Amino acid sequence: MNAIETRGLTKKYGPKTAADNLFFSIPEGEFFSLLGVNGAGKTTTVRMLTGLSAPTSGDALVGGHSVVHERDAVRRIIGISPQDTAVAANLTVRENLTLIGTVCGLDRMRLEERIGEMISLFGMAECAESRAKTLSGGWQRKLSIAMALLSEPQVLFLDEPTLGLDVLARRDLWRVIEGLRGKITMVLTTHYMEEAEALSDRVAVMIAGKIAALGSPEELRQATGAKDLENAFIAIAEAAQKGGDLHA
Amino acid sequence: MRKMLAFARRNLYEILRDPISYVFCLAFPLVMLGLMTLINKSIPPEANMTLFRIDRLAGGIAVFGQSFLMLFTVLAVSKDRAGSFLVRLYATPMAASDFTAGYLLPVLLLSAAQTLLLSAAALLVSLVSGPTLSVGGLFLMTVTLIPSGALFAGLGLLFGTLFSEKAAPALSSIIISLSAILGGIWFDPDSAGGVLLKICKALPFRYAVQSARAALVLDLGWEAWGFPLTVVIGSAVLVTLAASLVFRTRMRADLN
Ligand SMILES: Nc1ncnc2c1ncn2[C@@H]1O[C@H](COP(=O)(O)OP(=O)(O)O)[C@@H](O)[C@H]1O
Ligand SMILES: [Mg+2]
Repeated sequence: MNAIETRGLTKKYGPKTAADNLFFSIPEGEFFSLLGVNGAGKTTTVRMLTGLSAPTSGDALVGGHSVVHERDAVRRIIGISPQDTAVAANLTVRENLTLIGTVCGLDRMRLEERIGEMISLFGMAECAESRAKTLSGGWQRKLSIAMALLSEPQVLFLDEPTLGLDVLARRDLWRVIEGLRGKITMVLTTHYMEEAEALSDRVAVMIAGKIAALGSPEELRQATGAKDLENAFIAIAEAAQKGGDLHA
Repeated sequence: MRKMLAFARRNLYEILRDPISYVFCLAFPLVMLGLMTLINKSIPPEANMTLFRIDRLAGGIAVFGQSFLMLFTVLAVSKDRAGSFLVRLYATPMAASDFTAGYLLPVLLLSAAQTLLLSAAALLVSLVSGPTLSVGGLFLMTVTLIPSGALFAGLGLLFGTLFSEKAAPALSSIIISLSAILGGIWFDPDSAGGVLLKICKALPFRYAVQSARAALVLDLGWEAWGFPLTVVIGSAVLVTLAASLVFRTRMRADLN
């Protein structure tokens, strides 16, 4: 079964079409990336898929539930780590996890269990009682992802998880994300080519609200004859500008 | 209910763990309490000016303190709305009422605690400067000011939802100044009369101060205490409902 299926998903802001008639499917357990420069429409797409924004037209099924007609059902099976670090600054790591688990409806025992699991999975034992605002950017992102994972979602959305992190913190976060592969369907957005290349099973290249190409990093390289995803991306972007359509 | 309480606890901690809250919500009203008591000492009795005497000052200072809790509510809500923490909570099964009640409840608790602390300080001041305040009166004042606390909490949620994060601090300062002036904390609107008195009578702040002052001296008649308290309760209900409605509408719009 597909974890996600979009059917002409479209979002317009006034005259601007931020997401344009998207059709793609993500099989269960896949690591899927939306790759595109700033303003390509990645966040808009994630917002629609997580019930945070109503499509102007079209629909998408997440875990078989329509994001237009069954928002509540969608919310129960997804986890999202939003683009900006979304943690309660004055709460500790443990309190942040408790808050999000409680509002997601976990009962007390399960909550304690899950918090323990998250703290060990992300190696946060030492900072568990530290306030979120005292953590470095990298640790705040880890907390943000742990919060998204706490309620055991079927689909995890990570919107630019490594934005603004230094290279070491980024690699560290990659390892954490890599560790989740296969356990859960993941949708990651990024504008870092090497990040999409290193982590994803498949990559959708988003340009000006449209999916300009979709395939595994290997397929995208072969289709464009490029030596890495960055050059493949440039070839795809240039072809898209000329009005050409390139599908791997 | 669990969802709402979990969110309320977070909002309580956001204010309690911010040192600036103590500066504005406790230290500043305390400084004003001391300052006005000193000023009162230098006013000659012939002037017949009793506004800054502790038995009239205490109620005004308590309401003044509540208006700063409103400020912190405005700042907290507008900051949440600008950031993505709220977005993350929007993506959970939380209902709009969980958000609004979760913002209002901690402010209500904090305002009761604040009035108790300011009352204790007023008692100490009264022991030094006289006339001595009654503990019963101070307790009744604390209870009387609960609806006023709800009124300021509601105003905080309302303005926090309407104002942008950038505009919130400036606009809240204006509202605090106006509520202090129009509440008759630092001057007597009755002696001013005219349009100013009419404006004061049209807004709930003066009634909050009046009911607090009456409660403090155990003047529990309808005119001195019952009527102003009723006006404050009515305003608190209206403002809280309006704030909840506005928040719900804005939340729907955000999710569109
Ligand atoms: N709420 C909004 N109102 C108006 N325009 C928006 C809004 N959100 C996004 N946009 C526009 O839609 C386009 C896509 O934005 P976004 O999805 O945030 O891109 P990305 O996440 O890929 O950087 C941009 O041009 C942006 O300015
Ligand atoms: Mg984005």
